[in-house]
Amino acid sequence: MIRRIREYAALPGGFGIICGVSMFLTITILGFARPLFIPYAPDELVGDGLAGPSWQHPFGLDQLGRDMLSRTLAAVPADIGVAFLGVSIPLFIGTLIGILLAFAKNKVFLSLVGSIIDGINAFPLLIIAIAMVTFLGPGLFNVVIILALMNWARYARIARTRAQIVLRENYVEAARLMGYPRRRIIFKHVTPNVSSETLAYALSDFILVIVIISGLSFLGLGARPPAAEWGSMIADGRVFLGEAWWITVFPGLALCWSAVSISLIVEGLSRRDRAS
Amino acid sequence: MKVKSTSPLARKIFGRTIRAFSISFWVMVIAFALMRVTPGDPASARLGAGAEQEAIDALREQLGLNANPFQQFINYLSDLSRGELGTSLVSGISVGEIITKTFPLTLTYIAFSFLFAFLISIPIGVFIGWSNKASWVYSFRTFTSIVIATPNFFIAMVAILFFSVQRDWAPVFGYEPGFPGNMRYLWLPIAINTLILVSIISRVLLASVVDTRSEEFVETGIIRGVSRIRFFWFYILKPSLAPTIVLMSYMMGTMLGATVILETIFSLPGIGRELVGAVLASDYPVVQGILIFFGVITVFLSFIGDLLAHLLDRRVKL
Repeated sequence: MIRRIREYAALPGGFGIICGVSMFLTITILGFARPLFIPYAPDELVGDGLAGPSWQHPFGLDQLGRDMLSRTLAAVPADIGVAFLGVSIPLFIGTLIGILLAFAKNKVFLSLVGSIIDGINAFPLLIIAIAMVTFLGPGLFNVVIILALMNWARYARIARTRAQIVLRENYVEAARLMGYPRRRIIFKHVTPNVSSETLAYALSDFILVIVIISGLSFLGLGARPPAAEWGSMIADGRVFLGEAWWITVFPGLALCWSAVSISLIVEGLSRRDRAS
Repeated sequence: MKVKSTSPLARKIFGRTIRAFSISFWVMVIAFALMRVTPGDPASARLGAGAEQEAIDALREQLGLNANPFQQFINYLSDLSRGELGTSLVSGISVGEIITKTFPLTLTYIAFSFLFAFLISIPIGVFIGWSNKASWVYSFRTFTSIVIATPNFFIAMVAILFFSVQRDWAPVFGYEPGFPGNMRYLWLPIAINTLILVSIISRVLLASVVDTRSEEFVETGIIRGVSRIRFFWFYILKPSLAPTIVLMSYMMGTMLGATVILETIFSLPGIGRELVGAVLASDYPVVQGILIFFGVITVFLSFIGDLLAHLLDRRVKL
C-alpha cells in the first residue's frame, strides 16, 4: 500500500494530488466524526464569551461562549456537503442537456436553449445568486436550489462543445454503422467521453461554489444564524476582530484548507495531463 | 445572388456585435423571468406577513404584476428601451439614478486594480515564463493557486486585522468622496483585488509565454540579435498577450461580482453594497435593475475583450 502511494507520488503531479486528497479527506472525516471526539455541541454555551484559545478550547470561544473548534468542524457538512450538492446536481443536469443539444436537430429548440445558456452564463454567478435570494429567501437549502438553477448552464456549454467533437470521432461512426440504438450510443460511447471533461471542470468549480456558499452566508444571505457555517462565523467575528481574532481566523483557515486541497488536486491533474 | 459583403474581418465583427446584442436581450428576459417564475408573491414578501390586502394589491399594481405575463413583458421591454429601470420601493429614487450615483466608485477601484494587476503581471509572467525553470514555475503556481483558492473576504479580514486593527494604516471602514481623500479608504480594497488579479492574470500570461518561447520566430529574433527591450516586447509579450486580454475582460465581470462582498466589508457606497441592501430590503426593482446592468456590462466587456484579442493576434477566432 505504502509502496503504491510512493510510486504514484513519483509520477508528474502525483505528489500534489496525494497532498490534496489527504488534506480534503482529513477535514471531511474530522467534520463528520466530530461528535465522537469533541465533547461540546456546536451551539452549547461552555464558558465566558470571547475567551481566547486554551488547552481546553484550542480555537477559543466565540462572542456567546460557544466552542470554536466544535463550530468550525460542525460547519463541514454545511459547507462541503452543500458544495457537493451544488456541484453534482448542475454537473448531472448540465452534462445531460449538453449531450442532448449535440444530438438535437430542431433549429428553434437549439437556438432557444443555446440562448438561455448564454444568457445565464452572462451573469457573474455570485451576482445572480445574490439576486435570487431576494426571490427565494435566505437559507442553505435555497442556495442549493439557486446553484442547481443557475450553474448547469456552464456545464451544458462545456458538454455540448465536447459532445459535438466526440460525435465526429470514428468510434461513434463505427457504432452507428454497427446499427447500435441511439440510446446505447449516447450512454456507452458519448457520455463517458463527455463527462470526463465536465468532471474536470466540476473539480475547479467546487472551489468557486464553496466560496459562493460561504460568501452568501457572510453577507447574511445563506446559512441562518444558529447554524455553524464558515462564512457566517467569519462575519460574526468581524465586530470582534480587535479583541478576538480567533472567531474570524479559524473558520477562515478551514475554508482555505478545503479550497486549497481541491486546487492542489486540480493543479496536480493538469500537470499530469501536460506530462502525458 | 448573394452579394459578398466587405472584408471578412468586418463581417466577423458584425456577427459578434449581433451576438452581443442577442445575449443582452436574453439577459433581460432572464432578469424579467426570475421575479415572476419564482414561487411566492413579491408584494406580500416585501410588506411582511401582517400586511393588509389593499396594500398588497396597491404594491402589485405599482410593480405592474397585475397585467397578464405577456403584457408585462411588453411593458418591461418598452420601459427598458427608454432606459427606465423602475423606481426603488424604499427610497422612491429611480434605479437608473441609483446606478449612476454608485457605479463610479466601484468602477474607480476596479479600474485601479486592473491597471496595477496588469503592470505587475507582465514582468512576472514574462520573466518566469522566459526562464522556464521548473522550480520557479512550480513555486509560483503553488503560491498563486493558494491565493486564488482563498475567498476574498477572508483575505480582506486578515488585511484589516494587520493594517487597520494592529496598525493604523487604513480606516476599518467608511468613505469620503473627493480624489486625494478617498484613496485613504480605497487603497486596501485595491491592494486586495490587485493581489487576487495578479495571481490569475500572471498564471495565464506565464503559460502563453512558455508556449510562445518555443515558436520559430523567437529563435529568429535571437539570431538576428534584436535589442533586449524590442525582443521582449515584440517577440515575446505581444504574441502572448491575446489570451490574457480575453481573460481580463472575463475577469472584469467576475470582479464586479466579488466587489459586492468587499464593498460590504469596507462599507464603500458602491453598486455592490447597494445590491446587498436592496436584497435585504426586498427592493425588487433595484435588484432587477442592477442585475440587468451587471449582465449587460459583462456581455459587452467580453465583446470588447474578444475584439482587442483579435486585433493583437489574428489567429484568435471571433
